[in-house]
Amino acid sequence: MSRLLWVLPVLLVVAACATDAGGNTQSGDERVARVVEDYLQAKITGDADTLRGLLCSEMEASLNREANAFASVTGVEIEDMACRVNEGQSTVTCTGQIVADYGGEATTFPLTSYRVVQEDGEWKWCGEAG
Amino acid sequence: MQYHYARMTDEANPESVMSRSLTALILTLLFFLTHLTAAQPPEQATDPSIATPYQAVFVFAGPSDSHRELTSLPAGVEVKIIERNKIGNWVRIQQTREDGRVLADGWVLSGYLTLDERLRFSEIPINTEVPETDRIKQRYLTVAELYEVPVIPEVSEAMRAVYVRGQWLGNLSDVITKVGDSVAANEQYLTPMRLGNYELGAYDYLAETIDFFGPSLVQDSVAARVGMTTYVVFDPLWADKEICRPNESPLGCEYRLKKPSIAVIFFGGNDVRHMTDADFDLQIRQLVEESLAAGVIPVLSTFSSDPDAPLWWQSINFNLRLRDIAAEYEVPLINLWAATRILPAYGLEQDRVHMKNSGWNYIKFTKGNEAFYGTTLQNLLAIRMLDELRRVLEMG
Repeated sequence: MSRLLWVLPVLLVVAACATDAGGNTQSGDERVARVVEDYLQAKITGDADTLRGLLCSEMEASLNREANAFASVTGVEIEDMACRVNEGQSTVTCTGQIVADYGGEATTFPLTSYRVVQEDGEWKWCGEAG
Repeated sequence: MQYHYARMTDEANPESVMSRSLTALILTLLFFLTHLTAAQPPEQATDPSIATPYQAVFVFAGPSDSHRELTSLPAGVEVKIIERNKIGNWVRIQQTREDGRVLADGWVLSGYLTLDERLRFSEIPINTEVPETDRIKQRYLTVAELYEVPVIPEVSEAMRAVYVRGQWLGNLSDVITKVGDSVAANEQYLTPMRLGNYELGAYDYLAETIDFFGPSLVQDSVAARVGMTTYVVFDPLWADKEICRPNESPLGCEYRLKKPSIAVIFFGGNDVRHMTDADFDLQIRQLVEESLAAGVIPVLSTFSSDPDAPLWWQSINFNLRLRDIAAEYEVPLINLWAATRILPAYGLEQDRVHMKNSGWNYIKFTKGNEAFYGTTLQNLLAIRMLDELRRVLEMG
């Protein structure tokens, strides 16, 4: 019993250290990937305000187009979206697809790799990665 | 052995030889008589410009329903086709009595007539005197303005320059493509030109154009897709990821892959529901400018709409924007809107967005479908416009 009481704090310290050491990098990547996921989610719902906040400055002129990308179709949703940051944090690759309905006909849009840039400390979506 | 036997028989019976010669002579005479009779059609069918309406038709003062109705003709009466419009879908007919007195003289849709199989529109004079529209009959100014846009315009000198520049950029003179929404993407719109089989009937003059451009439609267009709008034709997300480059728009991808000399563009039905006419104007301008920059002649088209539909006036405004942009950039504009006014339900499906298909999966103008189905008329006008471009620009 006394041995267990000694091991428990040690384990807690080790766990805390592990979270601190690797957690910073992991949560940073997650944040970047999350920007892309949020962007795509806002795009399918036509949420112009969210898109404005996530769009990089060089693509500001495309805001109207981005917000109206799915205006003509219904039932738009993203299936099986999983995004991961590539080395260097400048691109994010997503798998999954957007599905939409047009007059009873399903149409799909596979997800791809996207460019991200940091502006004023914030990560922004900046088009597809070439 | 058998031959020898026959000779023996003939020699033995001279009467038999005589009888056989006579039979051969009679048969030969009969053969010539039969063929002489077949070569001469009945006297009343000698003039291929004689036609009969297969249903009661109104006769208009000019080649569109914007003109006043002069009279009506019952089904089955004989009329003579005197002239036609630039396309052939409207013809000027005369109904005369035996003494030569003219009973009716005016314009009808050729699709309402049973035409002689030998009739060729290439041999019928084109009337350029009577205006396509009569403004007086229109109640609203904007509607009158839209009616006045020619169904098939003249090709401007500016387009010659675009074509020449396109050739210099490596575009292919016999390649066309489709750009637009589901109405453009429709498998029955222009795509059947690729099949190589068609029934043109009296529209004989379009054959060379179909043969020239048809093979280029073998591969589907990346820039014509259901649900597409003038926004997303520039959105890389809507491009085919298997053949387009990253960050490449459907339009840019299509122009890079096909190197067309002409893009037949059709937008409006989707856009009118989601954007203002000012935004539509901006997007169409961008579309035209990107096409011109790529050395591609953009052929625009107005879109059909139903006066009883909620977006009727918005569609008029959109179509007038198309007219203005076409005039400003001197690009061709097919006035499908005006041409569909006389069609049942304006050539539209029940959803009032899509053009009604005839069901034929090849180009067929022999049954008058262009007077009933939106897609058939759309095909006829687009091919006629391509024909005009091919001839004027001496494409081949």
